[in-house]
Amino acid sequence: MLIRKRVISVLGWGTIVCLLAPVLHTVWVSFSPDSFLTPPTTAWSFKWYVACFQDRRWMHAILQSLTVAGLAAGLAVATAAPAAWSMGNLTRTQQRFVSFLLLLPALIPPAALGIGLLPLVHVTGLWGTTLGMVLVHATIGLPIGFLIIRTCLPEQLSELETAAAGLGASQPEILRRVTLPLLAPVLFAAGIAVFVLSLNESLVSIFLATPNNETLPAVVWPQLRYSPSPLVAVASCTTAIIGTLGILIVLRILVTRGRHSCPSLTKSPPSDRLPACHEIRQVSTVP
Amino acid sequence: MKYRVSALLPAGPALAMVCGLVIGPLLLLIRVSLYEPATGRGFYTPGTLSFTNYAAFADGYLLGIAGFTVGCGLAIATMVLLIAYPLGLFLSSLTARMQLIALGLILMPKTAGLLAMLFGLQRWLPRGVLATLIAEVYLVLPYAVIVIYAQLLNLDPTLRAAARGLGASSWQVFRRVTLPLSMPGMILAFQLGLMWGLGAFLGPLFLGRPNETTLAVELHRQAFEYGRWPLAATEAVGLLVLVTVAATGVPAVVQMRRVTRC
Repeated sequence: MLIRKRVISVLGWGTIVCLLAPVLHTVWVSFSPDSFLTPPTTAWSFKWYVACFQDRRWMHAILQSLTVAGLAAGLAVATAAPAAWSMGNLTRTQQRFVSFLLLLPALIPPAALGIGLLPLVHVTGLWGTTLGMVLVHATIGLPIGFLIIRTCLPEQLSELETAAAGLGASQPEILRRVTLPLLAPVLFAAGIAVFVLSLNESLVSIFLATPNNETLPAVVWPQLRYSPSPLVAVASCTTAIIGTLGILIVLRILVTRGRHSCPSLTKSPPSDRLPACHEIRQVSTVP
Repeated sequence: MKYRVSALLPAGPALAMVCGLVIGPLLLLIRVSLYEPATGRGFYTPGTLSFTNYAAFADGYLLGIAGFTVGCGLAIATMVLLIAYPLGLFLSSLTARMQLIALGLILMPKTAGLLAMLFGLQRWLPRGVLATLIAEVYLVLPYAVIVIYAQLLNLDPTLRAAARGLGASSWQVFRRVTLPLSMPGMILAFQLGLMWGLGAFLGPLFLGRPNETTLAVELHRQAFEYGRWPLAATEAVGLLVLVTVAATGVPAVVQMRRVTRC
């Protein structure tokens, strides 16, 4: 019995290590002291990191990536949050209609979306602009933002809103003092998730990038395909590092939040559990 | 009736974005695929309307690519399911804290280190069909694991305990309780794997040989190397048809099997 458990755990963690291995290899290569693609063993150096941050084209791409990701995350959350919040007031059919449309960007092949967007951005004058990139990335981030907010809406939210209304709060006041404070961590988590996704968005970006608005993946991919170098490894690692931090933050928030509202993220089903003292106090002090 | 429509208002901006930047481009795609190819300058001949581009599907070349795409999609979905299901089982057997760590590690390569992952795979694997499939499995697997893991977490743990209490061995519990109850998650994971596998782009682009392209890579080449937008749009329409068939076909097949079993 014990042996079997051990075998299972070795196999499980082994698979996870296999999933991580290519990324780790790239991180390793990025510390190479010369321009060969063999991982360094004796001499390590930050040479390529320095080279990357001194190169204007790379820096422009990194800044462009961060700008686009930040704006796209804001836009995606600002549009997905009201949609997710309103799901409770909709009929069954309307709910299915809204979910289907908002999940659609994740379901259609990015290449088909890219080629379809090409004539559209040409016609609307969004070709080569940051705005165009932001709009597209926000749309691609909508499904994940919507899913996170939808599944993690606090259970008591609508009751508390009703209570606040009963106590005479106006609609904007409810929004400012009840809804937003309760939703803030979830919205933040959703925003980070969209941000990370946008940083790594390399499918539609390949179709829409021009030297003016190219994000990091769009600069990396031709080089990755035709002339890989430690510099390319460094550029790839930059998004990996930012992205990993982002994932950690998202999981952390969702788990501390999710104890009550996201039963799918925690093991114990909280349904028949009595509320703890501090929770009762917490709920009763909310206006 | 009026009350019902106004309930949709908060979702308005999000729906408008999807309509403008997803539905719109897809409709535009169909229109562009009906233009005649450009003669001289430009990407297509404006004002024309013809089905000449669709004739390309009749010749062996495009049909071969479409066939390769379908084969890739099925292979990717199958491989993903075979790895994701045990991994999901393993994940749900861990303590809550370890689940979180493992989940983060599984999500990390796809969501955070996409380029770094492709870079690493490119160093290790010689270009070819196998490398393409492995890269695509890396890209699709995290989502499939999450779908299956979520399904397994929703299983009532008392059912398994009850089965054990009634004398079932752990294999019997898996075979007759866990597996049947997690079937919906497996079907969804396969369906999503097939849909994303059909749209395979990065895998074949970076790790495939030039003659082993999928529709997605082929349409990128037509649009950017040859400037043939109408043909690229036609291929995109073909790809969308395949994905739609996968999206509706998998549940239909499952339904049919269920009916014939009864």
